[in-house]
Amino acid sequence: MLYTICQSVRNQGSYSPISCGLWVALHQLRLLYSSLSAAMASSWSRALTQVSPYTFASVGIAISIGVSVLGAAWGIYITGSSLIGAAIKAPRITSKNLISVIFCEAVAIYGVIVAIILQTKLESVPASKIYDPESLRAGYAIFASGIIVGFANLMCGLCVGIIGSSCALSDAQNSTLFVKILVIEIFGSALGLFGVIVGIIMSSQATWPAKTT
Amino acid sequence: MMSRVIKKFFVASMIMWMAPVAILYGFNNHIFPGTGQLSSSSQTLMSGFLAVVSVNLVIVLYIIMAMKETGSSEHQPDPAFLAEANASIKQPSNMTTNDDTPAREKVE
Repeated sequence: MLYTICQSVRNQGSYSPISCGLWVALHQLRLLYSSLSAAMASSWSRALTQVSPYTFASVGIAISIGVSVLGAAWGIYITGSSLIGAAIKAPRITSKNLISVIFCEAVAIYGVIVAIILQTKLESVPASKIYDPESLRAGYAIFASGIIVGFANLMCGLCVGIIGSSCALSDAQNSTLFVKILVIEIFGSALGLFGVIVGIIMSSQATWPAKTT
Repeated sequence: MMSRVIKKFFVASMIMWMAPVAILYGFNNHIFPGTGQLSSSSQTLMSGFLAVVSVNLVIVLYIIMAMKETGSSEHQPDPAFLAEANASIKQPSNMTTNDDTPAREKVE
């Protein structure tokens, strides 16, 4: 495409300053593009493989607890504000609807469990072995496990919170509806469980290279 | 003063926090009897799954406790309210006409 543009510029006849300037600019752009693509291909992959695996592992641990607690807190405040509002007219609902708050809190505890497991998986290796494929694999496994658990618990907490809020409101109106909505809530809390199971399995294979020289 | 409902919820929450952390601590420091010869990856798997199972067990126990409690305590009307209701039935009717005019002013 650049070639046809250059051809059309050159075929205008007289080399006016505008066409000369356009041709030079296009030529520079072509050189810049080829050099940039070559440089980008090597420098991005070089940068990613030279980030220490401990960085990835620590960020994974932070995400697993931080984003899980974000999901749990979001769910608890959604369900708690509906529960307290509905309990003004129907105070009998408080004892049963605290089950929704317990489901949301379980989501935060899953994040804590996985964060404790992941931080016991962090071992120090000698400096010569930090960029071995095996220790890169361990760093990436811990990172991935943290992301899995964090985001699964985020959406699970949000889901259980919204269901719990409508559970409180409908229980205040008609107490036979509570058990039916509780079944939906149990399905919602299974989502966080899936994330925790996959995260634990993922982190169990994070083995660093042995320290023997 | 904490009502029974909040106390039950608080106890369940505390157990829900302490049980999985205790299980993880026990597995990592080899306190439990049969865990000496586990490899690192299967130790992680066992401790993780047992901790998650313990959290779910506490949730199920709390659900059972909550459903059982509300079944029994639903049918007792408040005695003070009952006494006031009985008293208002037996009141003479001129007391009720005096109450109407302040109520109408509030509506405006």
